[in-house]
Amino acid sequence: MNSNEKKLKKIFSDIFKIEENTVDENSSVDNIESWDSLNHLNLILALELEFGISFSEEQTVEILNYSLVKLVLQEHGVSFENG
Amino acid sequence: MTEDILNAINRVKVEQSYLAYVALSNLTADVQGLGFNSYRIAILRNFTIEPLIPVIKGEAIRYGLAPDIYISDFDAIAESVMNESSDLYKKNPDIIIIAQWGEGVSPALSSRFIGLSKEEVDNEVSRIVSTTKSWFSEIRKKSNAPVLINNFISNGIATLGILDYQSDAYQKHTLSRLNKYLLEMSKDFSDIYWVDLCSLFSQIGYTNSVNEHTWQTARAPISKNALLQTGLEFTKYIRALNGKARKCLVLDCDNTLWGGVIGEDGLDGIRLGNDYPGSAFINFQQECLNLYNRGIILALCSKNNETDALEVFRKHEYSILKEHHFSTWQINWDDKAKNLCRIAEDLNIGIDSLVFVDDNSFECQWVLKQLPQVEVINLSKEPFNYRNELMSFGFFDTLTFSGEDKKRSQMYVSDNQRKVLLKSASSYEDYLNELFLEAEIGRANKDNLSRISQLTQKTNQFNLTTRRYTEGDIDRFLNSNDMDVYYLKLKDRISDLGLIGVAIVKYKNSLAYIDSFMMSCRALGRGAEDVLMSIIIQRARKLGCNNLIGTYIETNKNIQVSNFFDKQKFIFIEKIDNVTTWNLKIELNSIKKYPKWIIVKENNL
Repeated sequence: MNSNEKKLKKIFSDIFKIEENTVDENSSVDNIESWDSLNHLNLILALELEFGISFSEEQTVEILNYSLVKLVLQEHGVSFENG
Repeated sequence: MTEDILNAINRVKVEQSYLAYVALSNLTADVQGLGFNSYRIAILRNFTIEPLIPVIKGEAIRYGLAPDIYISDFDAIAESVMNESSDLYKKNPDIIIIAQWGEGVSPALSSRFIGLSKEEVDNEVSRIVSTTKSWFSEIRKKSNAPVLINNFISNGIATLGILDYQSDAYQKHTLSRLNKYLLEMSKDFSDIYWVDLCSLFSQIGYTNSVNEHTWQTARAPISKNALLQTGLEFTKYIRALNGKARKCLVLDCDNTLWGGVIGEDGLDGIRLGNDYPGSAFINFQQECLNLYNRGIILALCSKNNETDALEVFRKHEYSILKEHHFSTWQINWDDKAKNLCRIAEDLNIGIDSLVFVDDNSFECQWVLKQLPQVEVINLSKEPFNYRNELMSFGFFDTLTFSGEDKKRSQMYVSDNQRKVLLKSASSYEDYLNELFLEAEIGRANKDNLSRISQLTQKTNQFNLTTRRYTEGDIDRFLNSNDMDVYYLKLKDRISDLGLIGVAIVKYKNSLAYIDSFMMSCRALGRGAEDVLMSIIIQRARKLGCNNLIGTYIETNKNIQVSNFFDKQKFIFIEKIDNVTTWNLKIELNSIKKYPKWIIVKENNL
């Protein structure tokens, strides 16, 4: 697994208190029970601090599932390519 | 401690990242089952403090506490405080945190300042002071828990721009006046501590600390850049209140106290002087010396030839630190973890009293792994940062600073002189005779209240019940009719050890209970505890008590006093869990004679 992918899964696991291996492309606000507004705030903080980036206001409200988080991170230059 | 928790704590220490705190705080439920002392934290707030919670929980776990956190409803500070049956009081908290954001407390002073008349400004300031005062007096009617409350931070750009600073009547000065009034007002109450966010935010910078976007969307004003430090600013108090302040700074030498390697570069070659980088090392040495003057013990742990390293402190003209500032050292080629244990043993303090500072990350990692109780500061490669890196964690921060503190580090140096005397004496009793010991025992008063509270918070080893008391607690004991608080001061011909013993006795009917009995480690082995016990018995007898009850509460640090009451001729009554109860029948012959090598002075008995 790409190291940023691994890091991202670890962040999901720590913030939402779920097992790392249950995090996948389908993980979203609809199927992670602990993804409430407060944990959303914590997720944003953790992502910004861990990847050293700052989201725009628009981005912070749209990243409501794992795939979108990845997409927005890619816009900030975070690579999820293998190798 | 389980591997998981240890790893999570080490991750926090090494990474110092938000996510590491989140991961550690996720283990809160696990530590609750592991014999960590439960610690109930009640937080009242007018903003979204939730992002700070992982830091607060994580730090509490780091201090060996099992945090149990209650957070009030949004904007419910007054409601929680004023209502006797509110959840706040039901939770019976060990500490109360009031986290307030200025814009929520006073929109007028924060954003509409220019529209107010001078009178309206004054009224608004007095309104806030009197509201806050009413909170404190309500809280104190129902709870003795220490209260942490943050001051108001100064806004970014004042409405009047460059003009604002020119008059005392304008915005910035009004806010600092408000903070000052609040501080003064709170002196009427015990155990109120102001968390100085104003100064923290000016250190980080207002624009870096405050996130207007999350403030307006989620009432969460503290930005990601200030999150960790803001949380730590609150938890520094939790560390100090729970007696977890560190006592001893152990320093590496090469590239820590000077630039370069003394064994290779020699006295003239190392970097220590008025020009950079030597100047940065002077600054760092100065900060270590400041800690020494605060009462922190200094020690050295370095891989060097002893004479090479000591020569710097003896001969280098720019070395601010001199040999006599260090109480002990391990300068050799042994494993540093082993050397740290030797240092703790030498000073008769716990390994968890040490902070180890080294520029070498291999040594730091090794110590972290071998001795998780030690706090480790791994200095960066930039010597100009050293001073900040040493101070930013507040490892040594305490709630009081007394005359005793200033003397303490010198006392540990005197201890070395005593060791020399001991070696030359023909017997231990001879040695004690030659020390010319003088004990002063009395009932406590306002003047030594702060030191007494400090001893209850810091003493771990010779402490029979390990009950921690704040200054407010001790003050209440002094004013109570059925309690005595005793202090014990000791001096010998080498130095004045100061106030080193405390005993608290409660009376009920014809029984006297020893609530607390403790001695600072540096005063052990001289028989002073026998004098203190004798005085307790004499006074209990005078007050008509016929039995003196002692309890020993076992912790993992006070095993050395497990048979203390036995030695004092008490009779064993029972043992329930970790609490052992003892009784002494008070009769004329149960009063012990003082050891003949101590001259005893009584004061206010």
